[in-house]
Amino acid sequence: MILDSQEIMLKGTPICRGIAIGKPFFFTIVEDSVPEFSIEASEVEAEIARFHKAVVKACEDIKLLQKRLQKERIFDGVAILDAHLQMMQDPLLTANVEREIKKSRKNVEHVFHGIIKEYQKKINSINDPFFRDRFKDVQDIFRRVVRHLKDNLSMGLTDIPPDSIIFAHDLTTFDTAEANSNYVVAFATKEGGATSHAAIVAKGKGIPYVCGVDIELVETIKDVIVIVDGRTGDIILNPSKATLTKYQQLKDQLQLHLQKLTQTGSLESETYDGYRIQLSANIEMYSELDMLHQLGGNRVGLFRTESAFLSRETFPTEEEQYLIYRKFVEKMNGMPIVIRTFDLGGDKYLRNHKTEPESNPFLGCRAIRFLLREKEIFKTQLRAILRASVYGDVSLLFPMVSSLSELQEAKRMLEESKKELAAQGESIDSHIPIGCMIEVPSAALIADLLAKECDFLSIGTNDLVQYSLAVDRSNQALSDLYTPTHPSILRLIRLVVSEANHHGIPVAVCGEVAADPRFTPLLLGLGVHELSVASRYLPIVKNAVRNTSIVAATKLAEQALKLDSASSIEELLTLEYRQNVPEDCFYNC
Amino acid sequence: MKLVRKVRIKNALGLHARPATMIVKLLLNCKSEVTFTHKRAVINAKSILSILMLAATKNTQLTVTVDGDDADDIMDKLVTVFENGFGE
Repeated sequence: MILDSQEIMLKGTPICRGIAIGKPFFFTIVEDSVPEFSIEASEVEAEIARFHKAVVKACEDIKLLQKRLQKERIFDGVAILDAHLQMMQDPLLTANVEREIKKSRKNVEHVFHGIIKEYQKKINSINDPFFRDRFKDVQDIFRRVVRHLKDNLSMGLTDIPPDSIIFAHDLTTFDTAEANSNYVVAFATKEGGATSHAAIVAKGKGIPYVCGVDIELVETIKDVIVIVDGRTGDIILNPSKATLTKYQQLKDQLQLHLQKLTQTGSLESETYDGYRIQLSANIEMYSELDMLHQLGGNRVGLFRTESAFLSRETFPTEEEQYLIYRKFVEKMNGMPIVIRTFDLGGDKYLRNHKTEPESNPFLGCRAIRFLLREKEIFKTQLRAILRASVYGDVSLLFPMVSSLSELQEAKRMLEESKKELAAQGESIDSHIPIGCMIEVPSAALIADLLAKECDFLSIGTNDLVQYSLAVDRSNQALSDLYTPTHPSILRLIRLVVSEANHHGIPVAVCGEVAADPRFTPLLLGLGVHELSVASRYLPIVKNAVRNTSIVAATKLAEQALKLDSASSIEELLTLEYRQNVPEDCFYNC
Repeated sequence: MKLVRKVRIKNALGLHARPATMIVKLLLNCKSEVTFTHKRAVINAKSILSILMLAATKNTQLTVTVDGDDADDIMDKLVTVFENGFGE
């Protein structure tokens, strides 16, 4: 029993910094929230088809379940599921749904829900309790179908009340991607890790995120004010007046600091002793380009092409891709954009793409490995990018290269695509610059060989840390071992930069550490030429650049390279940042 | 051809999910229109939800109407399953 006046403090692992004050919203059963929206007359047929498809999939689920029960000799269960199969395909139900979609021009979830509610009413009026119980079956088939509808159409965190703090067991990339930051003010989950793709999306949206939270405990107390401190991982339920005032002030202070930061847009990204570094943006969606322009950004250092297609069922055609890439390139108005080919596999798949299950997908067939195997998919993408390249300043980047031969093979296929397009009379940028991602220790160690074969290198620190330290980046239990400040990582970055310098090509860093302003002087000091971060971090990183000098940064890097542990290096970086930018309470807590 | 027959529900639990499933499956490929009439309600016998909604208990009398080319065959089969109490 919780007293009204009692303040409850929970501790989680901070993932995405920031402070939020709001009301809890439990994101558990997707079926509980039924979206409602209108559709055009021209969409009616597609909407009906969506329903049929969901029914077919739900039936497949049931048949699978039946097989399992059959094996376990639970024959009653098989018979009940038989009834469910018939209910799902009930011709009157289907006809009703179709008629109602046509008549009301509403989405199928809403229509279906309404019809099920009608059945509920009728069933509730039956006197015999034995028959009334059948409603549970009807409800279950509704749930099963709606689950599959959700697969076809992104739904979930889109329709929730304002100032919601989302409590969930776990979040997928889709859940976070769908969340509207006008309504969702924070995430708190039981599972998840700092650099899971869901977390990256949350960071991109600037939504505070704490994981490792005992959400079951929170579930017992629903209607309270909740504070999420994404700097420390503290979650405070039912805060006292004093606590609430304190956090409100902190939140305002941060807001003010961030507001001041946005005025750095027109300023150069150079140290106070005049050393310039290229700042670029990582983008996934077209809408992010507006933010980039607003913040005075002038380069995209990483366009994650797979994100534009993740919710699709099949691979997009060359024409579809070409139109999308061209739209991005044109929006850049001649400013450079680095397009990375599909980084699929690991935890990112197209929804319906059939892949052999791998016991260890992060060490499996992902990124360039996948593309070199699925040559048609790779070539289709290369052709689309090449065709879009004439509309601006485009570079090409290959993900997760682990040996020289992969880079060479990718280049060979690029040349082939160029020839094919030229033969067709397509105009392309035949000198498109090529970059190689350094995400695997083996690639970092042969940076000299790779540097000879390309025009720039781009270090993806998230994977580099995960692979170098052999720590799964989404494994909560090992989060203390996932340390980007590990001395080995600093040495690898230094090695890559020095080899790249030797061959006269630039090095970018595009992982999470690039967006952490405490790392900015270190990366500058190590000789990195470009930092590519989610747009919203451009001001904070630029501010960090402008508040250091290249002399101090170089000294800091030298000092850090002499230290022997991740924690002592992190301490050094935090201390330096606190001196450089004392007003930023994000990191100074 | 249109056939009309009266049947009585013999099994203890009435027309619950299992018998209803049996009826619907039996009618899956049938060309005729099949309805059950109970009191004032006339329902499509190919719709399991409609059958369940009758909430027909033991000893309820239903009127079965089969209208179509295969009416003879279908009526025979239907009457048989009712007579057998759906094997329960």
